[in-house]
Amino acid sequence: MNNQSKKKKSAYTVGARRKAFPWMVPFASVRLTLTLLSLSMILIFVATLEQVRIGIRGAQAEYFESFYGIWYYPEQFWGGSFLSVVPLPIPGGYLLGGLLIINLIAAFVTRFQWSGKKIGIQIIHLGIILLLIGQMTTQAIQVESRMQINKGESSDYIERFHGVELAFTDVTDANRSKVVSIPEELLKPGSTLRVPGFPFKVRVKAFGPNCSFDFKESAAQRSKITMDVNRGIGASANLSLSPREEDYSNDAANFGYLVFQLVNGSEELGTWLAVAHPAGNDRWKFVHTKLEGMAFQPLRHEGRLWGVELRSIREYLPYSIELLKIENEFYQGTDIPHNFESHVNLNLESGQKRKALVYMNTPLRHGGKTFYQYQMNKAADYTVFQVIRNPSWLVPYIACILLSVGLLWQFSFHLINFLRKQSKVSA
Amino acid sequence: MYFNSQNIFKIGASNLLFFSLLCLTSCTEETEIQTYYIPPEYEGPVVAWKLPPNWGENPELSGPMAGSFHVKTNSGPQGRIGVMPFREAVSTLSITNMFGMELGYEKFKEDTLSQVLTTKKVGQKKFEWIHLTERDSPSDPKTALLAVLRQKDETWLFPFVANAALIDQEMNSFISFLDSTTVRAGKKVIRAPRPISAAPIDKPTGAPTWDAPDHWITGKASSVRIASYTVSDEDGNELDFSITSFPGDVGGLQSNVNRWLTQIELPKIESLESTPYLTSYSIDEKDAHLFLAENTEKTIYGALLFGKSRSWFFKIMGDTSLAKVEKENFLNLLTTVCFHDH
Repeated sequence: MNNQSKKKKSAYTVGARRKAFPWMVPFASVRLTLTLLSLSMILIFVATLEQVRIGIRGAQAEYFESFYGIWYYPEQFWGGSFLSVVPLPIPGGYLLGGLLIINLIAAFVTRFQWSGKKIGIQIIHLGIILLLIGQMTTQAIQVESRMQINKGESSDYIERFHGVELAFTDVTDANRSKVVSIPEELLKPGSTLRVPGFPFKVRVKAFGPNCSFDFKESAAQRSKITMDVNRGIGASANLSLSPREEDYSNDAANFGYLVFQLVNGSEELGTWLAVAHPAGNDRWKFVHTKLEGMAFQPLRHEGRLWGVELRSIREYLPYSIELLKIENEFYQGTDIPHNFESHVNLNLESGQKRKALVYMNTPLRHGGKTFYQYQMNKAADYTVFQVIRNPSWLVPYIACILLSVGLLWQFSFHLINFLRKQSKVSA
Repeated sequence: MYFNSQNIFKIGASNLLFFSLLCLTSCTEETEIQTYYIPPEYEGPVVAWKLPPNWGENPELSGPMAGSFHVKTNSGPQGRIGVMPFREAVSTLSITNMFGMELGYEKFKEDTLSQVLTTKKVGQKKFEWIHLTERDSPSDPKTALLAVLRQKDETWLFPFVANAALIDQEMNSFISFLDSTTVRAGKKVIRAPRPISAAPIDKPTGAPTWDAPDHWITGKASSVRIASYTVSDEDGNELDFSITSFPGDVGGLQSNVNRWLTQIELPKIESLESTPYLTSYSIDEKDAHLFLAENTEKTIYGALLFGKSRSWFFKIMGDTSLAKVEKENFLNLLTTVCFHDH
């Protein structure tokens, strides 16, 4: 072996790598790994308990999609009457996951031996790192939406399960409509928004993710929050509302609300109330005839007709899906669903049509989105798809392949060595 | 060598760490106001206009399907301009008669219609142009200028009802208003308020609109009797329908019930409790009373609504056999009454 190859080899020894990355050494500790894994178990235990109280979505947001969560010891447990008042910080999924990734990478760099003998273990750990990164990326960038289609009709947009937007739609032209949408993050009470492409300024007076509402006899009887509403459905129906906490439970129905004023220059045009129906604003007509107009509150200006609504965050697609037929099957003699099927036409951007069948665990994938069969109402002839956009959906598959290869390599290596030793002994 | 294997490894490891930290912190939703165009999906009727500077919009005409305006003058709002959609093709003769009878004209026929009918092109739109001036009123007579636009099977009526001088003065504004309008019927039902015939300019404040059955013949209205219709059958039986309005409660419920009972020769009631003639009712979400009384020859179906400052009476009276036939039409009419105040 010459000097050059010796030098090259020395760059890959554990000692050399520790020298090159001394700051990584403390992060590579096995104790840290065990501590993080123990805390992960606690996190899963606490989140599982909390799931009963705040639902899957709530537990996910509070504990897994955060750096820390605050947990209160359940009153029903032993000593709960004393301990339930103490807020206990629990490390969140982002914190533990992030630290585990750093810990594994640091161990990979400063502790593992890079030799053919150990390459299986290295591949396994690489797979785990990829799995963690993939999961965290998914949690951070995956977007879940829904698409509802009536039989015989097609839809070219999806709506988020959570979050609303204020949308102004100019419907004057027969060939196309102009939409100006303001996401809820900008709808801060007290703020005034200058909206490009819209003739008025929007002054936000009140906004919330959920409310309950009822009708009053007169404007004077309305709640303080809608007292000033003098235009649109809020005024004509004398709506009074009470803000409520956002419901994260599985069967949550959050009615987001917004009280806003439109201002033309310095002239105040009036105050409107908009409420978003969680199943889409076209459902308002089934709630009460007085509320039917909540899906399109008209505004006229300079020969243009605009409609305003607060609605679930909407994303338009360059293609559409047409519902041809729906079928549902139940286990014999029960109401338990066995299979839901939606026969659809995918109307592509190019104008071509593609027939597809969407049923349980067999989604339709197109344009970076996956359409899963989610709900169905045979009586009302509509289907609902859960639509997932997850650019990192391949990462877990690659990680699992790496894990399998690593395990296979490691076991094969030991098996061959074992067999060699056995044959030597027998010889 | 700058890119030896150790350096490449260092860069790779650092990038991996950076990427994982980036994932934790930078993956957020876009929070910008967005503007984009979509294929039309709104199914309601589209009615849009550009209002002349000296015109005002009459408040709280709910829904996107019609509009109502006035001219701002030094002596307050004057005249009434409207946008009236009809889903079906309404004949010019019907529209002309609807307004003509209000202004004292004899019923127009096909051969006499040309006396008041011309056509006018405004921008790209072609209107039927009907000019009616109140008879028997020589100085500054009331005038109805009716612009009728036909689009496919739709009929759009733009009535301008005011004194003749005001109409002359506002003619250019009316024409520019017509030019600015965009009207398009949608798939949804159009709920057109009753045209100006049911809402003359000298009506009491806050007067309602309504839809009367097609076979009811419009009669003469006044400031008190704001609507008048007659219904007859082949046997010559007749019913008279009216909507009247008075300031205050005009004696209250019992007094008015007894007045109606006397008109069909039924004994008066002593008290409102347990009277067989009255039931609680609702007109345009306002508390009202439904009155049903009949003898063998005459019948009155009515509704009494006592508002804050005015009382409203909806009454159909006449032959009992015909009243039974028209009862459902009368009740249907009550459901279409709209005060446009909520």
